[in-house]
Amino acid sequence: MSLVNFTSREITCKLVYYGPGRSGKTTNLHYVYGRVPESRRGRMVSLATQTDRTLFFDFLPLDLGVISGFTTRFQLYTVPGQVYYDATRKLVLQGADGVVFVADSQARRLDDNVESLQNLQVNLLQQGVDVRHFPVVLQYNKQDLPRDLILTPEELDEALNFRNVKSYSADAVRGTGVFETLKGISELVLKRLAAGSAA
Amino acid sequence: MRTVEPWVAEPLNAFVTESSARLTLLMTSSGQVVAQHGFAGALDVMSAAALGAGIMASSQELAALMRWPPFRIMVHQGRAQGHFLCRFQTPRGWWIGLVVYGTDTSLGLVELFFDQLVEQLLAATPHEEKPREVLTADFEAELNASLRALFGR
Repeated sequence: MSLVNFTSREITCKLVYYGPGRSGKTTNLHYVYGRVPESRRGRMVSLATQTDRTLFFDFLPLDLGVISGFTTRFQLYTVPGQVYYDATRKLVLQGADGVVFVADSQARRLDDNVESLQNLQVNLLQQGVDVRHFPVVLQYNKQDLPRDLILTPEELDEALNFRNVKSYSADAVRGTGVFETLKGISELVLKRLAAGSAA
Repeated sequence: MRTVEPWVAEPLNAFVTESSARLTLLMTSSGQVVAQHGFAGALDVMSAAALGAGIMASSQELAALMRWPPFRIMVHQGRAQGHFLCRFQTPRGWWIGLVVYGTDTSLGLVELFFDQLVEQLLAATPHEEKPREVLTADFEAELNASLRALFGR
């Protein structure tokens, strides 16, 4: 959950990039890391295998600057996507304020997307999170691939977006949609924080 | 020293003075920083918290898998410095302490004074406060401006 320091007026939120293996979660973070000025980000921590597959998590702290008088920081995490790393995913998901589900748009990966999305629901429920009110956005990555290999955003919405949350087309390697996705989840998380604090 | 909540400052300050710890970091079990002493950069301290919580979380899972009792303390003793990692229950949930200490103190002293720190934190924890307003209704314009500045757009 978000930590709010009223004395120093600081907010820290935890965002988790979730999705099947090789969908582009780490690529999202790499793009953000490469575009953000050094003064506004920390070191990107990657606990990866020798072949650069995420083993535990990637972590990138971001300083968004001052919002409503609060210095606002986001902690971006990725989870390992492969099915057999479920225990690790649960650990990283603990205390998350919002999730970006990164789907692989390739038609042949649809089952993997569905399985990973179901896994996300199960793991959130196990942590007592009410998924109906939890900030989640979908990112349909690899939309740059040839049309005959991928599903359109509309088809992916039909297959994955049964909660009708915001979804974004992306090509994380070139950065298309990465900014929009981060903005989308940031808004949801901060809106929830504002609503909770006003209650 | 920086703390998210003011009531943590006094016990932490006493611990740092008594134990001669070089770095001390208190975090939640999900890796959020609660308080720190000795770190220079706010963003570095967030990385240290993420890694400390990750080590503790994965070790708990390993212990459960092996049917061992949960680890409370983990220590790495190097030649020039040692790392002490300890999880403890508070009214605000599980917290974790990460302490880096040098040759001017010892693991025994760090452990002794850390136990005292935990007791003092438990005694000092205030009742949950009513939620206070965090963000104004028009925060979205400022968020958009911040993100645009961040991405150079």
